[in-house]
Amino acid sequence: MLLSKDMELDTIPKLLFDNYRKHPGEVALREKRYGVWNEFTWKDYFEKVKYFALGLLTLGLKRGDRVSIIGENKPEWFCAELAAQTIGGIVVGIYTDAGPLEVAHFAGHSGSRIVVAHDQEQVDKLLQIQDKLPQLERVIYWDDRGLWNYDDPLLISYDQVLELGRKYEKEHRGVFEEEMKKGSGNDLAVISYTSGTTGLPKGAMISHRQLVSLAKLGRDLDDWTDSDEYVSFVPPAWITEQVVGITGCILSRMKASFAESPESIQENIREIGASVLFYGPRNWESVVRMVQARISDAHPFKRLLYNTFLSVGYKVADINLAGKRPGPLWRPLYWVARVALFRQLLDKLGFSKVRTAYTAGSAISPDIVRFFHAIGVDLKNMYGASEIGTVSAPYSSGDIRPETAGVPLEGIEVRISDESEILVSSNTLFDGYYKDDEGTRKKLRGGWYCTGDFGYIDESGHVIVMDRMDDLRSLASGQKFSPQYTEIRLRFSPYIKEAIILGGEERDYVTAIINIELNNVGKWAERKRIPYTTFSDLSQREQVLELIAGEVMKVNRTLPEWARIKKFTNLNKELDADEAEMTRTRKLRRTFVEEKYSDLIQALYSGKSELPMESEVVYRDGRRAKITTSIKINAVVTG
Amino acid sequence: MKVKGEKKLKRDKASTPEVKLRVGSVSLSFGGVQALVDVSFEVRNPEILAIIGPNGAGKTCLLNCISGFYKPQEGAIYYGDKKIVGLPPYRIASIGISRTFQNIQLYSGMTTVDNLMAARHMHIKPNLFSSSIYFGPTHRREIEHRRAVERIIDFLELEPIRKKVVGMLPYGQRKKIDLARALAQEPQLLLLDEPMAGMNYEEKEDMARYILDIADLRKIPIVLVEHDMGVVMDISDRVVVLDFGQKIAEGTPDVIKVNPKVISAYLGDAAI
Repeated sequence: MLLSKDMELDTIPKLLFDNYRKHPGEVALREKRYGVWNEFTWKDYFEKVKYFALGLLTLGLKRGDRVSIIGENKPEWFCAELAAQTIGGIVVGIYTDAGPLEVAHFAGHSGSRIVVAHDQEQVDKLLQIQDKLPQLERVIYWDDRGLWNYDDPLLISYDQVLELGRKYEKEHRGVFEEEMKKGSGNDLAVISYTSGTTGLPKGAMISHRQLVSLAKLGRDLDDWTDSDEYVSFVPPAWITEQVVGITGCILSRMKASFAESPESIQENIREIGASVLFYGPRNWESVVRMVQARISDAHPFKRLLYNTFLSVGYKVADINLAGKRPGPLWRPLYWVARVALFRQLLDKLGFSKVRTAYTAGSAISPDIVRFFHAIGVDLKNMYGASEIGTVSAPYSSGDIRPETAGVPLEGIEVRISDESEILVSSNTLFDGYYKDDEGTRKKLRGGWYCTGDFGYIDESGHVIVMDRMDDLRSLASGQKFSPQYTEIRLRFSPYIKEAIILGGEERDYVTAIINIELNNVGKWAERKRIPYTTFSDLSQREQVLELIAGEVMKVNRTLPEWARIKKFTNLNKELDADEAEMTRTRKLRRTFVEEKYSDLIQALYSGKSELPMESEVVYRDGRRAKITTSIKINAVVTG
Repeated sequence: MKVKGEKKLKRDKASTPEVKLRVGSVSLSFGGVQALVDVSFEVRNPEILAIIGPNGAGKTCLLNCISGFYKPQEGAIYYGDKKIVGLPPYRIASIGISRTFQNIQLYSGMTTVDNLMAARHMHIKPNLFSSSIYFGPTHRREIEHRRAVERIIDFLELEPIRKKVVGMLPYGQRKKIDLARALAQEPQLLLLDEPMAGMNYEEKEDMARYILDIADLRKIPIVLVEHDMGVVMDISDRVVVLDFGQKIAEGTPDVIKVNPKVISAYLGDAAI
């Protein structure tokens, strides 16, 4: 054995090797394929990584070379990443729904020599842009469906690479272990491209040391152990999955399971009985939305029961979240609600066994957090960024507050600048942006990372993140408000999918552009016998406008006088990442949207009550079409 | 319409194609209505053959003749060397010709998996004794068929609706299950009756991809009746055009596109 027993476990591949040595027969990964859950032990996992790594060596990958991976969460993704990292490669994760040009930016900017791609869809993108990627040498794919007759010399299958690796092993025994030993904690592990709400995405360079220490923080905080079940769902291109799904699962030997397809996630979570779960705020929102939609379809008696029990849940959740214990009246009532409703609801959602649930990435509505606590899911809101990892999290269940992102983690210092920007310092800081010293200097000042987030620390030490600094607005009167805060509150309404809150120094009042939720508003319209044809038609119906006005009024009541929405308009189409109106992680691209809809925004601040609008629609295949509709501008009655 | 990969162009067509199905001078009439008049063509292997024509041209009648639902008064249809006119539909299915239906024919009260398992019945050779015990050979056989069904579910990406009751599913998905059902029979020749009718652009694109993949993977000929000219021109190797029950043209999509007879059948004489 080339490796000494007390080798420092400072890289992720070394941690994997350690598991392989100590627990070869234990289950590490599970994947549902052809309707059956297949298990991979630490030995299987390690061997796949080993041969793939040697295959990459055969293909000529050198230490420090970049490898891009684009695909859904699958064991192949994890293995390819660890394989590349073992031989000193740096991994760049790309979101599956990135368009060809975005892929060209990530793979091109990082200078990836090898790209590991999931299937035909991704391979086609790469073949389309290969002229833009002179340094690209090989594309490795793992799902060969539809690729049977492709004969591009660029392509090679995953299994072929494994085969190359096996051959290499026969001739060069021990090379893998040597390569692994060469790795050190300070080596770069991944380049994580920030989601880019402003400008082109920047590549944050993240080392093994950073990933391992972040995963340790998470493990120690919530006791991830080998009896925990994790379902890998958030994209591995996101730093969160790097920390929890890849590093965290290896570090704590938590079993990672992979869903059959993104659409069957709910069912798969239920089958696995996930105990640790990570969803983005949007995913949590869509779960709530689904429950709301189902309930609105249910029999009136069931609706009554649901509402009654849910209000009991809310009451008890509020007591718990305030750090108190529910009294002798509420405890039995909550028990009844649990037996009669919550247990079944959680079972349907697949959350029965969820012990710890997380959300991170962007702000989440306190209403969503309260909802999950009411039905018995311990949802924790964390705060972090690709550049710094996790900054703060609730330490224990008794320490969760729906409107905060918990307290700073051990070893992490948080400071608020004079402009109320959140500054962070820790030993998990990133190594700067890839090929962008200027950008790095702007964000890293004197050991402090400037998050660009506006927020404050309350008297009990909880971090409250309000909004992006750049997105804060003030009105003509000089009063400041956070558009995002109002937006997430609006999105809690089952009838509102997106909202853009507008204001500004030259403007006297706040207005909103709203995207209705087609499913729920459609069902509501059917119940009310309101005929409609398209999204556009439905959004401008008189009754729908009244419905939305009601929802806006509800939110207005929670806002200070100056931040209240005075006028709103229902957009006649859905905001779409394909039209660059949102990022791939479904964050609003505000500046772009405001430019695109400048006419509409002007109308909101003039006396007009209607605006004819011609909008261009871009289909997924690149075709364009024009739609002209008249959009109504609606005032909200104060009160 | 652009189909991902443009694989059609790359498909290997070098070897001399074998003739899989021969339709010879088929005529069909209902009372005084002449549905098909002296129609002849061949289906080769491998190829995707499209049958197109305006409404009422007799396209579905032709498929019904091949699959045994109608018996033509004149003419012959050969599947390989076997004459199949007059055989009942279930016999035609068991010799390897499967089809989908324009107006989806599934057991709407059953789940997707059960529908597909039912389609495997023609491959299950029951035995009174072993079937009544279930354990042992019957159990193994059941697993083997379920495995075949799961491969089709994977192929057509039906995982999220595997256990959903078919009647509750939207149209586009039922259309996919109908195709899956035909595939579950392991056909040697696949007849598709308007697989893309009523679908939106994205669903059509997916369906086109599946059809190309089936042709690639299973190496079987596919006969496609379709209205969407974009799809037809894009994925088929050859096209047969019917008008008022008669074959008016046959050839590659490029030839058909400029054929004056075809243009006049679709757009009227004034268009030429």
